[in-house]
Amino acid sequence: MANYSALARITWYAVAAAGLTGVPAVMPAQGPPAAQLMKQGKPEDAFISSDKDTRPYQKRDFNGLWSRNPRQYGLPACPECSDPGPWPRNGYGFNGTPAPRTAEGEKRFQANKPARGIELGSEEAKQRTDLDIGLRRAVLPAFGNDPEGRCEPLGLARLITFSGGGATMEMIHAPSNDRIIQRFEWTWDNREIWIDGRKIPNIDDYLPRYNGYSTAKWEGDTLVVTSAGFDDRQWLDQYGYPISDHAVLEERWDHPSPNRLRVQLTLTDPTYYSQPWKSSLKVWTLIPKEKMSVGGWSGVLEDRCIPSDESLFNTFRDHAAGKK
Amino acid sequence: MASLSKKTLTLSAGLLLSTVMWAHHGSAISYDTAHLWTTWATVTEFNYLNPHPSMTFDRTTKDGNVEHWVAELLTNPSILVRAGWTKSRSMEALKPGTRVKLYVGTSRAGGFSGIVMKIENEQGESIVGDRSDVTGVDKDGVPGGMQPSGKQKLPGEEK
Repeated sequence: MANYSALARITWYAVAAAGLTGVPAVMPAQGPPAAQLMKQGKPEDAFISSDKDTRPYQKRDFNGLWSRNPRQYGLPACPECSDPGPWPRNGYGFNGTPAPRTAEGEKRFQANKPARGIELGSEEAKQRTDLDIGLRRAVLPAFGNDPEGRCEPLGLARLITFSGGGATMEMIHAPSNDRIIQRFEWTWDNREIWIDGRKIPNIDDYLPRYNGYSTAKWEGDTLVVTSAGFDDRQWLDQYGYPISDHAVLEERWDHPSPNRLRVQLTLTDPTYYSQPWKSSLKVWTLIPKEKMSVGGWSGVLEDRCIPSDESLFNTFRDHAAGKK
Repeated sequence: MASLSKKTLTLSAGLLLSTVMWAHHGSAISYDTAHLWTTWATVTEFNYLNPHPSMTFDRTTKDGNVEHWVAELLTNPSILVRAGWTKSRSMEALKPGTRVKLYVGTSRAGGFSGIVMKIENEQGESIVGDRSDVTGVDKDGVPGGMQPSGKQKLPGEEK
């Protein structure tokens, strides 16, 4: 952890010293260079970090404010933070190679009308047959049905994959060490990752919810999070891929260098997809809180989606589409 | 502006931001941002709200007619505030009656609707945004500004 909060560091040391974290109480005297850390990853891992910080850090400490657009905060660019999706202008989708959809999944996919991606019917859409059709079917927002356009909750996968150009997330290890709280700036949402040994619930016994139910365990220095129990009104990402209420989402989070946090997601959803779907790698940069400050007040902004504001905005959108 | 009844105008908007924000709420697809144009206008309303600010403005054509436009800005409040354009500062800079030069992309459906990519005050300073690199064709006083050449087929439009 490089420059985050001194208080968080103190808390970490105190908790670690008390033997509550399961990680060494003593920070390493000298951490290995970031490039070397990269090589310690999985063999298929081609991730290259542009982080030049070689100061020691705790690989299991995810505390901090994270962004995929550090330049917004006056920090060096993070090329690997740009989603390595198949389409340069694709924003932040789930990406990877979309899994084949079941008949039920295809029906739901067709019902979703996204406003992001290559324009439906355009020459580019016709030419880019190398891309999944999900990236080539964007309609005008006024003619789409993106739940975001009604300020409905984004849902867990979309919160993670869509951080916008600068929308920030914050990770907080609870002092009790039984969970990690993840906060998302855009829509002012949050989720809990329980690491107290509990099992993922039998989802038929629980009320589905947008961010599901998440449990986690450490595999080495990788936090493996398993989530289930999703409300299926959400979209998997901004391109309108569906996710069912019986989907299981796995996230593998790690902290490969002092100023990088990354995750890869795998969706297993037999209701809508005939095989698991692995996302592209998502990478964030640590933002020192003093860099993320407005008028001296640092931290995540309350960037809510307010239905009445959205409704007003949509009148402009409808006007732009000539919609009466 | 509580409803489109007051939508006599339209907006323009403005601004800024990083290219990655371009996709937020699917802004790009609604407007012809490949053909930007400029005009002097008078602000009639400015809304500093999520997901994107919006505004309405009047522009007077060479023959003396007043056009009422509506527009959105590309940026959003979280970006603006971090760029120093707080709500109070932005509202003051674009209070009704303020004369500004706008860099506009007309809606693809045509009419007096667009997206404002850059705003300058009468001193030539870029305000409520940080897109200093935007350029446009001067259409000040030209009726309709720059309009689509014909009826476009809009993706998703009801046939």
